[in-house]
Amino acid sequence: MLGVGASGPVGEAEAVTEPRAVTEPSPVAAPRPMTATPQRLTEREAWAVLVSVVGLGPVGFGALLRRFGTGLEVLDQAIRPGGVGALVAGGVNEGRETFGHPVGEAIATVARDPGPVLGRIESAGVAILTLDDAAYPNRLRTIEMPPHVLFVSGDVAALSAEHAIAVVGTRRPTGTGRLTAARIGAAIAKTGAAVVSGLAVGIDGAAQAAVTAEDGITVAVLGSGHGRLYPRAHANLARSIVAHGGAIVSELVPDATPTTSAFPRRNRIISGLSDATIVVEAPERSGALITAAWALEQGRECFMVPGPIGEPRSAGCLLWLRDYADQVRIVAGIPELIEDLGLLDVETPARLAGRPSLEAELIELGKTARSVAIELVRGHGTLDELVAATGHPVATTLGALTLLELRGLATSAYGRYRPAGRLANADPPRPSVA
Amino acid sequence: MLATLLSATVVGLDGRVIRVEVDVAGGLPGFTIVGLADAALQEARERVRGAIRNAGFVHPPRRITVNLAPAEQRKAGASLDLAIAMGILLGSEQVRAAPGRIALIGELSLGGEVRAVPGILPMAAALARRGLRRVVVPDVVREEAALADGIEAIGVATLRDAVEAVRRRSGRRTVTLPPRVDLGVEAVAPIAASAAVSGPVRRPRLPLEVADLAEVRGQLEARRGLEIALAGGHGLLLVGPPGSGKTLLARTIPGLLPPLGDVEALAATIVASVAGDAPRELVRQAPVRAPHHTLSYAAMVGGGPRMSPGEVTLADHGVLFLDELPEFSRDVLEALRQPLEEGRVSVARVGRATTFPARFQFVAAMNPCPCGLAGDESGRCRCGPGVPEKYTGRVSGPLRDRIDLWITMPNVAPAALMTGNEPENSALVAERIAFARDVQRARGSGRLNGRVSGRELRSICRLSTVASRRAIELADLEGLSGRGTERLLRVARTIADLDAAPAVLGGHLEEAARFRSPAARLGAREAS
Repeated sequence: MLGVGASGPVGEAEAVTEPRAVTEPSPVAAPRPMTATPQRLTEREAWAVLVSVVGLGPVGFGALLRRFGTGLEVLDQAIRPGGVGALVAGGVNEGRETFGHPVGEAIATVARDPGPVLGRIESAGVAILTLDDAAYPNRLRTIEMPPHVLFVSGDVAALSAEHAIAVVGTRRPTGTGRLTAARIGAAIAKTGAAVVSGLAVGIDGAAQAAVTAEDGITVAVLGSGHGRLYPRAHANLARSIVAHGGAIVSELVPDATPTTSAFPRRNRIISGLSDATIVVEAPERSGALITAAWALEQGRECFMVPGPIGEPRSAGCLLWLRDYADQVRIVAGIPELIEDLGLLDVETPARLAGRPSLEAELIELGKTARSVAIELVRGHGTLDELVAATGHPVATTLGALTLLELRGLATSAYGRYRPAGRLANADPPRPSVA
Repeated sequence: MLATLLSATVVGLDGRVIRVEVDVAGGLPGFTIVGLADAALQEARERVRGAIRNAGFVHPPRRITVNLAPAEQRKAGASLDLAIAMGILLGSEQVRAAPGRIALIGELSLGGEVRAVPGILPMAAALARRGLRRVVVPDVVREEAALADGIEAIGVATLRDAVEAVRRRSGRRTVTLPPRVDLGVEAVAPIAASAAVSGPVRRPRLPLEVADLAEVRGQLEARRGLEIALAGGHGLLLVGPPGSGKTLLARTIPGLLPPLGDVEALAATIVASVAGDAPRELVRQAPVRAPHHTLSYAAMVGGGPRMSPGEVTLADHGVLFLDELPEFSRDVLEALRQPLEEGRVSVARVGRATTFPARFQFVAAMNPCPCGLAGDESGRCRCGPGVPEKYTGRVSGPLRDRIDLWITMPNVAPAALMTGNEPENSALVAERIAFARDVQRARGSGRLNGRVSGRELRSICRLSTVASRRAIELADLEGLSGRGTERLLRVARTIADLDAAPAVLGGHLEEAARFRSPAARLGAREAS
């Protein structure tokens, strides 16, 4: 077996982080109709075909590129007699095989007929972005093991926003955690910076929904393909993110199903796309902490929102603040966070100026709705609490909640009401800050 | 010698007059019953034989043939025992009857006591329709039989009493026999025994004590929803974690329903009679049925060998409450379709079909997810994402269409249980419900808003300008279907009726919107 391994000339990270020649100006070029011969593919399509092979990861992909030069050459090699053996040999990295014969066979299969793979990418309507593209986000390009290919729906430019902050946390947050996530998301959005997260239920979704409510830009990194959006409950949120100029990103081909191993890997992209990562609530064992670990590894900043001691859903954040005190920063408050992120002096983009104030909107909805809104922001969640706090009759309080819901300012689940949209982003004492 | 008497059985909720012909003739001793009699009726031979002997008469050692007419109709149950026994006594000339047609209903014990049978009221009514003036019935259900107009019910406790009643001349008016002197302490026993031994087992009414709304702390949204649902006869679903008070709330329903009107009361009394409840007067209390989720298909819709009414019929003009809705078997829930849509249920068996009334109001309760803790602030719910939605999704489409109000209940904070204002009691709320029902009764078809046709709803549901704007906004927000909008308007109409408002105002519609199903609200809930 040929050794490209330990004595090999180039280290993996070095090889792929080296910016490559830009081969095509537009990353959005749609795949052309396929006639199944690799020669007719573009290099970009060849990469997309290669990453569709389950079992071929970034390391193996990088090794193949070093050995054969281009993706097209890899596909060519795959369909030659004895090509599979050559691929497996070519995939050796630092003396170890990165994939075996079954994966080699799979590469040969898609090499012979790449049409279906490209067809599914085309029908999903996603753009293919490769490491070689100028539009590939620089922040991500510089991490260890960046994905060779990104599939993007929405605005590719959102990935390269001037400032990007990741907001992540548990899928089972407390009500307070959810509100905090929303407020942080909204505050960042108002500075014009992009918010990056994982579209998961809980903290991720709350933060990203708040950004769209503020007309801000947010990037969702999926752990599945675009065609298998997970969680399904956030299909509407995903549409809303794209509609507000954000993007949905995945390193997996559109028909890839969500697997448990995909999510930790996906987290390196969340932190990699961002200048800093903020963890709002995380229990001791949490995917959000994996994202935080990636952020530190990638040399990015990491912030933790402290929670009450004894609250299991904040235990992870608190442990990190104790154990990695020199590397992790604390979120002391939202204005403080914005200052610490260096977003204080960032000019509010023109597209966010000139909206009617939240206070004006509430006054228009009437006295009852306004007082109910204030109590919602104070954290009163059930109708019993709202009636006790406002002193309004049950019937009119219920009506007021409908009015708020119609304006996207309140939602309900399991008999509890929560502020939503801009109201969720308002500061507790009075909702007049917005 | 031939003796001919009248008796009756029950098919479904209807009494059927049966002609009992008894021929006592010479030949080898024997006892035959012909005329499509079921097993219980065939066993009447043994009961009759024992009753006649133990009552001090002679069971004649002759050839006895009993014919039950009409011949093509199946007969079930033990209600003909007394007539058959009397036929033998008359046929063997041990007893001489006063002239005139004789009708008897009742089951016999081996000792000669006359036991109650279910369905006395419809049976007596059927005989009255045939022009009978007097009917001999078991003493314990005499009052029930007397509820049938135009017929005099003579209560008897034993076969001997019955013989006395038959010997007496008709024409004498008040012929209620005194109770047997020797019964003494056992005076109440026959009632309990008859219910346990004969006929369908008496099913428990609400298997819980009736509660007062004053016992319900907090849960203002659910209280209000219950009030609206009962005022308008709307289908209601309570979703909440264990301990949030769903069942307690359901237990208050009997105390909130207004008494039944005359026509409804008669229907309810007949149902109670057939169910073996032995009503002593017209049943004015609207029934509330709470079957357990393990009940069978036949127990829900009715049927069985005797074509007994099922839970849907027992809840006629009242409330059918299904606790732990998703735990009911799919078949049983599917069976609710016809009654919910048509207000009746058809039970077909080989050779016979019966239609039972089933105009009940549907009330159900369920947990928000399999473990019951979804939405709990403590985060103890271990159901994965999407699991609660799937769980509530088990409520099938046709059932959803009948649920006008969908209430999710949070767990009440312990502090709220200790403090807060004194909750309203049932009497106050019942008054408002009765008022709103009167408003609806006085209008159009007189049906409750939950049951008026879509067409009538449009004519009685005049919207103010604000209200119609809200209706459009809500439909836009979540793509409400035609049915969803209709449900919304039904509820809004009821809220307006509680308010004594002739037109539906914006506030009514806004409040009604709080009770729509989460499925209809999905569009508005993107950040979960």
